[in-house]
Amino acid sequence: MTSRFAFIGLWLRRAAVIAAMLIGLFPIFWLVSTSFKPYDEWQHWPPVWVSSSPTLQNYRIVFAPQAAQTFAAKQKGSIDYKVSASAWKAFRDSAIISVCATLLSIIFGTLAAYSIVRYRTGGRNYAFQFLMVRMFPPIAVVVPMLVFFSLLRLIDTFPGLILAYTAFTLPFSIWMIRSFIEEVPEELEGAAMIYGMRPLQAFLRVTLPLIRGGVLATALFVFILNWSEFLFALTLTTGGIVTVTLQVANYVSASSGKLYGVQAAMGTISTIPVIIFGYLIQRHLVRGLTFGAIKR
Amino acid sequence: MADETVKMEDVDMISRRRAKRWIPFNVALVLPAQLTVMAVVLIPTLIILWLSITDWQPTQGIPWFKAYVVGLDNFRELLHDHRFTAAVLRTLFVVIVCMAAEFVLAMSLALLFLDEWPWRKIAVSAIILPMMVVPVDAANAFFMLFGDRGPINYAISLIIGRSFEFGWLENPNWALLPIMLAEIWQWTPLMFLLILTGLMNLPENQVRAAYVLGASRTKIFFKIMLPLLTPVIIIALLIRGIETFKIFDPVYILTHGGPGSSTETISMFMYDSAFEFFRMGYVAAAGLLVLVVVVSICVALARPLREHHR
Repeated sequence: MTSRFAFIGLWLRRAAVIAAMLIGLFPIFWLVSTSFKPYDEWQHWPPVWVSSSPTLQNYRIVFAPQAAQTFAAKQKGSIDYKVSASAWKAFRDSAIISVCATLLSIIFGTLAAYSIVRYRTGGRNYAFQFLMVRMFPPIAVVVPMLVFFSLLRLIDTFPGLILAYTAFTLPFSIWMIRSFIEEVPEELEGAAMIYGMRPLQAFLRVTLPLIRGGVLATALFVFILNWSEFLFALTLTTGGIVTVTLQVANYVSASSGKLYGVQAAMGTISTIPVIIFGYLIQRHLVRGLTFGAIKR
Repeated sequence: MADETVKMEDVDMISRRRAKRWIPFNVALVLPAQLTVMAVVLIPTLIILWLSITDWQPTQGIPWFKAYVVGLDNFRELLHDHRFTAAVLRTLFVVIVCMAAEFVLAMSLALLFLDEWPWRKIAVSAIILPMMVVPVDAANAFFMLFGDRGPINYAISLIIGRSFEFGWLENPNWALLPIMLAEIWQWTPLMFLLILTGLMNLPENQVRAAYVLGASRTKIFFKIMLPLLTPVIIIALLIRGIETFKIFDPVYILTHGGPGSSTETISMFMYDSAFEFFRMGYVAAAGLLVLVVVVSICVALARPLREHHR
């Protein structure tokens, strides 16, 4: 009797896990599936689950402005000017900003973390002030940032966005790398210094190679944050720079009509790099998301 | 040299003797990070102090530093602005509902992963997929799911047996639901991952000892697991609470705060005041108010995060 109950319980638990997986995957499935649907299936009733005549039309509209114009002429009459721009520019802009901001964040973060761990710079609470950056809503500083950036002529420029992204990911790089450095015994660097290396040299030659994997994971983590960022991209640009998230938002905006398939195509490609990087660093995700507090 | 252990004090002496510079070496190391944060956070915070007591609007055509000073008028107006107070209350509501839902779902899900079974790792990877999706894309997906001819409405019409084409996002009473569901869908996996990590790190001996001594499952959960998990749970709730408080992307994509201002959160309210109505002084005051409240709450609450790191 008990064994049969245990058996049922086991299968109930498995079923619950499968249900959770299905709920988790469904919106993503819908996004990908819609991206392959031809125009007349976007809002078909009853909804089309998987298109019987899949098309790459939506992806063509995303990447080739001519395709968008032909499409507009044929189906909808007109298409929003923002949407008719190619997404290549968005990918290029996002790549430039994300890569530069990630590099800066990691370099600055590593140096600061080294100083905080090995020299106890600023005492106990110093590292905490970086964490504060992450705590308040970024929209609260956007207006004064616009004022400050307009003084420096940084609005709608790459350096401007890179600066903002670097600052807002520094808490993650500092705290994460700090937790990695703390795992390497100080004595290793001490030994290297006895042999005549200078402190920073000892850190770069001895400790850094040991935590290489951790620093790389931090970099990918920060890259994901930068790539996904939306609010600063929206407010600190005036149309010259278009990031991937902005491009996605352009497709969803009411003014461009309901281009479900095209939205979905853009959504699918823009999220692929993030998912790949996310799984590459799955082991370190917990550490990153908790600023190194939970190490696994 | 061979049998001597290296003492850090000696090494420090060697390196310190060499380093007598204008800026101490360790301060120079934190300088790039510090300056970046200052440029983006501290200087704007100073500017916000000034702007919050002015009525500056860029459309007036006067530069921000010559703006007309109105003293505390902005703050007075804010406290009587129903749209602002409604946005604050709505944000708190969203934070509480999302945190509670995420916690309950994540906790029950994590408990299903206690024992070892084949495909377990793959199941974990599949369940955490939503948190990897770019938030704007997740909102995009929910925009389609909750469209009037979307699959959600179709599922409902299958259940009730007649055609159901409800405009979730156009209805002031219901539009907040898809937003919260998008948020819960995306971030329950994060909470799940944190709690699961906490569960895996529990000292196995205590749990096993309790089993052997004949404690029931519920007793083990409430008397042993939950207390040991508390630090992890606090950190998870703290991080989610802070992030949900800032909620912007799904609101912007799904409803833009509408219809009317029925789904406006604090961030959305400030965005609209700044970029639709160009009331920069007013937004600065609102921003300052939020900053002060959030920072003081965080300083009080974030102690567990700091202590856990020690």
